[in-house]
Amino acid sequence: MRLLFCLIAQLLMVQPVFAQGDFAPPPSKDDPLGIQRLKPLPAGVILIPGAVPSASDTRTSLPETGTIRKNVYDNAYFGITWAFPEQWGEEFKGPPPSDTGQYVLANLVGNRASILVTAQDLFFALTPPSKIALPSYYKMEAEPSDIQIAKAAFSRYSYMSPVAGLHWVVFATEIRCHLVQFVLSSQDTKLLEQVVENLKQIKLSAGADVPRCVADYARPENIVYKSDPVLADTKFNPIPVRIIIGKNGKVRHVHVISAFASQAQTVTDAMMQWRFKPSEAEIETGILFGSSITRRRAPTTSASSISE
Amino acid sequence: MKRPVAPILWMTLLFVGVAFGQTDPGVRGGGAAAGGPLSSVAANIPATILNFFNDGKARFQEVDSVSGTVAGEEGVGLGPRYNSRSCAFCHAQPAVGGTSPATNPQVTDATADGARNTVPSFITSAGPVREARFPFFFDSNGNPNPNDPNGGVEDLFTITGRADAGSCNIDQPSFSIAQQTNDIIFRIPTPTFGAGLIENISDETLLANSQQNANNNLGVTGTFNHNGNDGTISRFGWKAQNKSLTIFAGEAYNVEQGVSNEVFTQERPLPGEDRKSGLTAACKINGTPEDHTNFNTTATGTLSDTIGFAMFMRFLAPPTPSTTTPGGSTSISNGRSLFSAVGCNLCHTPSLTTARSSFTSSLNNATANLFSDMEIHHMGNGLADNVGQGGAGGDQFRSAPLWGLGQRIFFLHDGRTKNVMTAIRSHSSSGSEANSVINNFNNLSSSQQQDILNFLRSL
Repeated sequence: MRLLFCLIAQLLMVQPVFAQGDFAPPPSKDDPLGIQRLKPLPAGVILIPGAVPSASDTRTSLPETGTIRKNVYDNAYFGITWAFPEQWGEEFKGPPPSDTGQYVLANLVGNRASILVTAQDLFFALTPPSKIALPSYYKMEAEPSDIQIAKAAFSRYSYMSPVAGLHWVVFATEIRCHLVQFVLSSQDTKLLEQVVENLKQIKLSAGADVPRCVADYARPENIVYKSDPVLADTKFNPIPVRIIIGKNGKVRHVHVISAFASQAQTVTDAMMQWRFKPSEAEIETGILFGSSITRRRAPTTSASSISE
Repeated sequence: MKRPVAPILWMTLLFVGVAFGQTDPGVRGGGAAAGGPLSSVAANIPATILNFFNDGKARFQEVDSVSGTVAGEEGVGLGPRYNSRSCAFCHAQPAVGGTSPATNPQVTDATADGARNTVPSFITSAGPVREARFPFFFDSNGNPNPNDPNGGVEDLFTITGRADAGSCNIDQPSFSIAQQTNDIIFRIPTPTFGAGLIENISDETLLANSQQNANNNLGVTGTFNHNGNDGTISRFGWKAQNKSLTIFAGEAYNVEQGVSNEVFTQERPLPGEDRKSGLTAACKINGTPEDHTNFNTTATGTLSDTIGFAMFMRFLAPPTPSTTTPGGSTSISNGRSLFSAVGCNLCHTPSLTTARSSFTSSLNNATANLFSDMEIHHMGNGLADNVGQGGAGGDQFRSAPLWGLGQRIFFLHDGRTKNVMTAIRSHSSSGSEANSVINNFNNLSSSQQQDILNFLRSL
């Protein structure tokens, strides 16, 4: 009797902790307080991702799905295989692609030095990325010059910050209508040169079998049928989309670069219904949905490969 | 002669401490470098505007009780749920309008006037003022459901037990379970100095700044949050979720103090209560909205509190930075240059120009040294709070304006640290846009990093 009384008293004391507010775990015989059955959320996981990329299929490679195994960076979409120096590694992954089509492909850290690999989708760039306009607090050390790496044309330039003593060396090339950049940074210029030599061993394989990328291909004269996505939300975000059109004019792949989940589904469903005129090659192009009012973008870059 | 090993060792350690021990100088001393009106407001241009500033400040400092019947607590409408009892309790450091003070008023708020609240474990006297949110609703087993986002504010306290609460009898949220299930996040008050300047920056200016920073080599992008009604850029709050100071004031009055008003017109239940039957009738003690336009009065007396709060915040001058403290002018100047060199300025834009203002000349085509681009940026899993607001996802936050940082005590959205160095390094985690910038910061020498810390504490 006394034991029962104590138990009831104990429960009464503990009960308020769990009986408050707008929820309470139901008690069970074995676990009257429900503690053992509580399943905490994982720590350090982004469960509400906001606008993120998605794709209509898993077979087609995507710009953002590069991998790092040991000291090798692989990116099937861009055809990049790079064995970077062994002492380097990626501590943190980059952010999801932006609504202006910018990707952080890899962010490698060495001993007081870093390498950032980025790609800017030239269909959605806010400003022409080919135009180098260094802020006044940087000093150009070497103007852009052409260099061949892995049989591809790169532009190399370097600059530094006099106050920080930091040096940057940039290698830029264009792959599939993206400006792909390798940005090397350190106060140690000798170290940078070592990385430069290493970078020259990079392998590039995005060749003739990839679709031809064409800016603004979704023009009336090329479209046989289209169904515009009806976005019911009021997020007012730009939704950049890349599609690959098969030779038969059907859309075979939709890559929504940045959108909320419901938007992505709506856009993908609509895009898969679009029909283009048949062509001799697969074509990859970009279309901007959502709000373009608040993200004014410059005219598409004049890079040769993206004009039809 | 015996060699004096110990002194040499100590000297070496001290030297190393000086050479490599870059430290946050701490809260800048001296008087509060903020809290006064804009210069044109102080000069009373246009006529009577200073009255509106002073009236708004008095309202901001007013303490609320349930029906305004408690002596010294004449504000009407507290609760039934609340986080504190006065705007100025939480927006206090280093002056009225600022942010979390050294002594957390919420400990006293919990039991003021007979209220019977338990102080949650995450609220302490020496800790930051906090509001709590549950990112997800709980399922019938009491577990957070990741497929059911919540994110609304779970007010810490209720009026139950207060002498002026009548028969209102409601419970506090179950913070202990939320903590056990990792389904709770915190936010601290944002300072409001210079808020009128921020409000008056045009969308075009913000877009131009974004475009100017677009081709950086640091992987920084960002985007804007937008008002769901008109689609223009919103800018107040940790995720830039609020469009204007009036909305910001109205929301805070409703959510933090439980006062219904002309912007948020109903008494606010918890998000979970709102899914069920809402608040009980016994807890709806006053007519709504409790704060409203006052008829049959003149000038400032006509305003509602909400409008008064907005006027006060709008006319608050921005903080005045120090040119010499801490570390001396050379270090501060060097730190300012380094701040841009490593790329902090890409998000924390040093200055933007306001549009023409119809209020007062100090807001008119003025330079706002806010150190923010008003964009929301992915900050990675280390800072993510899994609360979505408007177009901001769980790890996206507005670039916090850094003006006045020198006299702030707590940093980051949840006040997790008092140390600026920790705050800087917390910018780096998986998924963050700032990783490359922090790499640059880490690549600096210790003395260069110290210059940046000194610069930040000079603001």
